[in-house]
Amino acid sequence: MSDFSIFEYGLGIFQALLIIVLSPLIVGIMRKIKAKSQKRIGSGIFQLYYDIIKLLKKDEVVSDQSSWLFRYTPWINFVSIASAAFFIPVFLVYSPFGVVGDILFVVGLFALGRFFTMLAGLDVASSFGGLGSSREMMVSALLEPVLFMTIFVIALFYGGTNISTIVTSANDTSILIVPGVLFAMIAFFIIMMAETGKIPFDNPSTHLELTMIHESMVLEYSGKNLALMEWSHAIKQMILFALFVDIFFTWNFVEQISLVGISIGILFFIAKVSALASFTAFIETRVAKWRLFRVSDLIAMAISSSMIGVIFFFL
Amino acid sequence: MAENLFIVYAIFAFFSLGATLGLFTRGQKHHTYFTYIPSAFASLLTIILSVVVFSSENTHLTFFNIQHLFDFEIFIDGVSAFFLLIIGLISFAVSIYSLSYSKKFDDKKNNSALGMLFNIFILSMILVVISNNVFFFLIFWELMSLTSFFLVIYEHENKNNLKSGLIYLVMTHLGTGFIFASFILMYTQTGSFSFDSFRDVTIIPQYVKDIAFVLAFVGFGTKAGMVPLHTWLPKAHPSAPSNVSALMSAVMLKIAIYGIVRHLFDFNAVDGSPDYVWLGIGIIIVGSISALVGILYALIENDIKRALAFSSIENVGIIFIGLGFSVVFAAFHLQALSVLSFIASMFHTLNHSIFKGLLFMTAGSVYYSTHTKNIEELGGLIKKMPWTAMMFLIGSIAIVGLPPLNGFISEWLTLQSLLAVFQIPSNILQVSLAFTILVFALTIGLAGATFVRLFGITFLSKGRSTKAVNAVEVPKFMLIGKAILASSCVLLGILPFIGMNLIVSAFNLPYMSSSPFETISITNTSNSNFASLMMPGMLVILASVFVGVFVFVRIIGGKTKTIKYGTWDCGFGNLSEKTQYTATSLAEPIRRIFGVFYKPHNEVDVDFYTKENFYLKKSINVISTTKNIFDEKLYGKTISGSLFVLNKIRKIQSGKVNAYILYIMITLITLLLFVGFGTHE
Repeated sequence: MSDFSIFEYGLGIFQALLIIVLSPLIVGIMRKIKAKSQKRIGSGIFQLYYDIIKLLKKDEVVSDQSSWLFRYTPWINFVSIASAAFFIPVFLVYSPFGVVGDILFVVGLFALGRFFTMLAGLDVASSFGGLGSSREMMVSALLEPVLFMTIFVIALFYGGTNISTIVTSANDTSILIVPGVLFAMIAFFIIMMAETGKIPFDNPSTHLELTMIHESMVLEYSGKNLALMEWSHAIKQMILFALFVDIFFTWNFVEQISLVGISIGILFFIAKVSALASFTAFIETRVAKWRLFRVSDLIAMAISSSMIGVIFFFL
Repeated sequence: MAENLFIVYAIFAFFSLGATLGLFTRGQKHHTYFTYIPSAFASLLTIILSVVVFSSENTHLTFFNIQHLFDFEIFIDGVSAFFLLIIGLISFAVSIYSLSYSKKFDDKKNNSALGMLFNIFILSMILVVISNNVFFFLIFWELMSLTSFFLVIYEHENKNNLKSGLIYLVMTHLGTGFIFASFILMYTQTGSFSFDSFRDVTIIPQYVKDIAFVLAFVGFGTKAGMVPLHTWLPKAHPSAPSNVSALMSAVMLKIAIYGIVRHLFDFNAVDGSPDYVWLGIGIIIVGSISALVGILYALIENDIKRALAFSSIENVGIIFIGLGFSVVFAAFHLQALSVLSFIASMFHTLNHSIFKGLLFMTAGSVYYSTHTKNIEELGGLIKKMPWTAMMFLIGSIAIVGLPPLNGFISEWLTLQSLLAVFQIPSNILQVSLAFTILVFALTIGLAGATFVRLFGITFLSKGRSTKAVNAVEVPKFMLIGKAILASSCVLLGILPFIGMNLIVSAFNLPYMSSSPFETISITNTSNSNFASLMMPGMLVILASVFVGVFVFVRIIGGKTKTIKYGTWDCGFGNLSEKTQYTATSLAEPIRRIFGVFYKPHNEVDVDFYTKENFYLKKSINVISTTKNIFDEKLYGKTISGSLFVLNKIRKIQSGKVNAYILYIMITLITLLLFVGFGTHE
């Protein structure tokens, strides 16, 4: 831990804060693009910031059936997901906190948040919560093999599960042409869609019990807790996007630490993530929500994609 | 040396005292104290004994020399000490728990037997681990099996318990038979029943060692619940009283692991022989299948204790995966990786003991308070039994392998050893072993779902029956027992090096860290950081993020009120507990996807007010069943097949004296012929 100076730790915290602070913006951009491609005007790209601030000031209504678990879940969820942001490089090729945890640890933190969210869905004694938890149970259990297999491929090609190692070696080589990594990218993209509740898996913009997974688990939240839930969901999405661009689109990391360099790095990062977000949002408008039991087919596709990636490495 | 002997005697004395007092203080007011306080003391002494052995050298003692063949030798090396520690820790917690729990059986006629068997059971497990001679090993193994059998059928008013006890008795003796065969095979080569001679690598040819190991693996594997010999486990473990279930799942399974480790690394001394590649792959395959099958059945199980027993099968599978990788790596001379996998496997052994003991005790508390094990009748217990709920939550987080608790560390280590397969110098093996990660990951995912379901349905939402609504928190001794293990979960999660250093010194591995705050660090072939994990650092990050967001929310949001109001009911009013998701419906999507294993079957029976009108339904009755394909296909077929054969054989029992005389004559002639041909040579 002693290899880094205080200044670099400061930069690391700054990177994490960037992810936490910029995440609602990305949600706003995605919503705007979705609205535009559906010929709607849509709300402004800063809408989620206003929502969060407004919700934070509001009184809460909690169910009389719920327990302490329901009330603390948003905090646990937020803390575990926001802590994961500390391991993600944004404009540097490394994170000074990389030594504390690796990509498996980030996955573990996400799983911790999800575990409590699923429990909170069950806590309120409504059938909506149970429905969401039940579906989330299925999707997350099936998603786990893809997730680990994809991490496996990435770890094989880039020599580690430590995110700093991965990003550094991804940055060193122009490895995009390697077919194994391409297959990992496909699988990672599907994971991203599933983890953030995008359309073939889940439709977060409706409150229709046929389509919803994540929304029905957080249906009973209001006020501060809802703000935390919404925000942590945005952060999770941002972390996954950041990981995606860090690993597969590695251009323009800051080599020399200077004010200009860092500013350019941040701008490039925002540009890359926004481009990815626009692409994801565009994809979302092009496909319909899949039937729940067809989702497993899509996941199977991702599994086979990542398996092909493994085979390509050993060939 | 001398003090070790003294401790061994003291352990023996305390357990005997507990057993005797348990028998004679029946009906007294404080009889549980007489029974379980000695066992708690003895368990503490066991922990002390293992710590003494860790800090000094191996202990080798010989008792009564009846004949050289049957020396009762005690040999406590690091391996034994490690398992002694597991036994001691869990038994201590369970003993304290039992102080209150066994009052549940106060009105039973034979409540004294429970205390006696409980003490003997723990003692027999300790003796198995420290004996150094085939003869006594098997005697104590058998003592352990029999006492646990009597404990399984302790509540014999319930016919199901008798049945599962019988299945357990048969299966455990099948396993013992295999172990026996393995030892006999070793004996034919060495001519001695002492384990010391088995350790002598040079005498025994490689192929004999392989066969002996496979036999021992099947034998010990039966006790450990490996698929497909697991069928007794989910029946027997839940049938016993909950304190004994905790001991059986948390400790007795580990004694089987001890047998395998002892055989594999002590008698067999795994080296670069290619045979070990195949043995290792065999263990990995068995482990993967056990892990997946175990968790799949745990997921749909409605009996809380049976679900936990199925999850034990899963965890034994994970332990086996680690062990198998360790053997494979060792066979390819990848020493460091072999050590990594071995630490992962043993750490999971330790962790599983802790959290499974904890979970069984909490399940026992739920049973104690509500008198039901069926989670469909539970719910809302988090408000009635807040401490028990907290403990169950800690156990669940740990067993699912989520940070920051101990399960995460061992699963992380196992995953890292899986990720290292690319260093194996064989292409086919690399690719095929790489796919183990699919099974492993699916297992972890399903484990998450299982414990969300178990915790959610048991403790959250509204109570589903009057039993759950009237539940009260359990007495304090039961809470203390659970708290000991829950705090171990937290401690080993945040300071994993306490456990890892223990394993390193127990098994004499070539790695040691100086402080428990160090980072677990793995480097790759080009010497940069492959992966690292620093749990104390992580705790700092989590804490500071929490403080940061708390302050942020307070500053921006200010003080707000919280209003309690009913759950959103779509305007219909009065949500009943029937509208909640049930345990079955919660698992329905997964049940449907993995239907191959469950063969789900729904029977819908609709009753109408009038036969002509199909719109006015009087009642709808749904019976939803699943099957265990192992019980049905494998055991069902085997049993019906052997019954068929035995029926045919029965015909020779005609009851006529003439026929029997004929049999005797045929036997005589055959024997004479046999002897005659024998002497010619």
